Amino acid sequence: MLLNADSMKPIYVQISEWLENEILNESISADEKIYSQYQLAEMFNVNPATAGKGINLLADDNVLYKKRGLGMFVAADARKIILGKRKSSKLHSLVTELAQEAVQLQVEEEELVTMIRDMHQRIKEEQS
Amino acid sequence: MNVVVCHDLTKQYGRSKAIQNMNCQIAENKITGLIGRNGAGKTTLLKIIAGYLHHSSGDIQVFSENPFNNLKISANTIFIDNEMSFSQGLTLNELLETAGSFYPNWNHDLALKLFDYFSFNPNQYHGNLSKGMKSTFNMIVGLAARCPLTIMDEPTSGMDSATRKDFYRALLKEYIAYPRTIILSSHLLDEVEDLLEEVLLIKSGEKCLHLSIDQLKEYAIGVRGKTVNVETWTEKMELISMQEIGANMSYAVIRNDRSIKELEDARQLGLEVTSVSAEDICSYLTSKTKGGIDDVFSRG
Repeated sequence: MLLNADSMKPIYVQISEWLENEILNESISADEKIYSQYQLAEMFNVNPATAGKGINLLADDNVLYKKRGLGMFVAADARKIILGKRKSSKLHSLVTELAQEAVQLQVEEEELVTMIRDMHQRIKEEQS
Repeated sequence: MNVVVCHDLTKQYGRSKAIQNMNCQIAENKITGLIGRNGAGKTTLLKIIAGYLHHSSGDIQVFSENPFNNLKISANTIFIDNEMSFSQGLTLNELLETAGSFYPNWNHDLALKLFDYFSFNPNQYHGNLSKGMKSTFNMIVGLAARCPLTIMDEPTSGMDSATRKDFYRALLKEYIAYPRTIILSSHLLDEVEDLLEEVLLIKSGEKCLHLSIDQLKEYAIGVRGKTVNVETWTEKMELISMQEIGANMSYAVIRNDRSIKELEDARQLGLEVTSVSAEDICSYLTSKTKGGIDDVFSRG
């Protein structure tokens, strides 16, 4: 957690984030079965134990639930949980980094806020 | 269940000890990487496990039996390395067929498919193959044998990079389809780490670490910054490595067990905290000096 370089994230974390993205963009919907650890292992070329750890990470957060003998399924409120989690952890750390960088570059508060507002608007327009 | 259990295992060649009081267990149906520097005792350990060598003292059990001169162990184990000797009188095709008769789980279909994929000539002889082709052929035998204990000693030596990638993928797919205990020795940890579940790191014939790959990756952190600050911050910590990396700049590697407060202090001192790759952790841990190769060249 304290290591900032993104590529340095453990692979199982990267796998769980990839699964979260699949759920967020609705490639996998609620109550649908998720990839097995063996499928993930093949997809990412990693040991099945590592892939299993990525799945367990999401099960711990209640994003996934287990059906005995059938595998892991997406929880009904999975999207909500993921969004909440991302807001509190990812966004927070990105903002911290951004603010630190701004201070180092002597960018004033006003300027920084304007930059964020402009970018936010542009992306929203592009999406609509 | 543990497939391999070593207890105070020692192997002496004359007066020098290749393996010293080794205690380790290798769990069933996992891929374990055996990592160590040149001459650390990797091959000796693997040969003892495979039953090729007799140990000098201590105890070793493979599938709960002593592996040396043991038929059950040799039927259930395959040892692949680049010194494998095959009959000079048989063609590659005949070698595959003969190998099949030794191993009960042998999958001839897989062997032939891999054989085709890597464009072998069935009428060629093993002795005439290039180094990389030899390794590739041996690997095919190792995978097709589907032995409950599959040991590969530097399996990729001599292979080109495309073949190495193919091999790792073939190994993974085979492992997923037919789980078995695999021990893979390599000095290219970067290349194999994603495949491994566990890492057994050995140094001068002794066990140095035995961890899951995830634990190993989080084992240490590096701090970089002004030498004075690095030294102040790490004063009471045990260093894994300390190097001068430039004028008044140093890089120290320590265990990853610092509190958030301490890491915050490091930031205040202008130190950069980074993660350390599994391969780097292994080379720092098995290095004989704390400063590395730079010590050789340092003045004074």
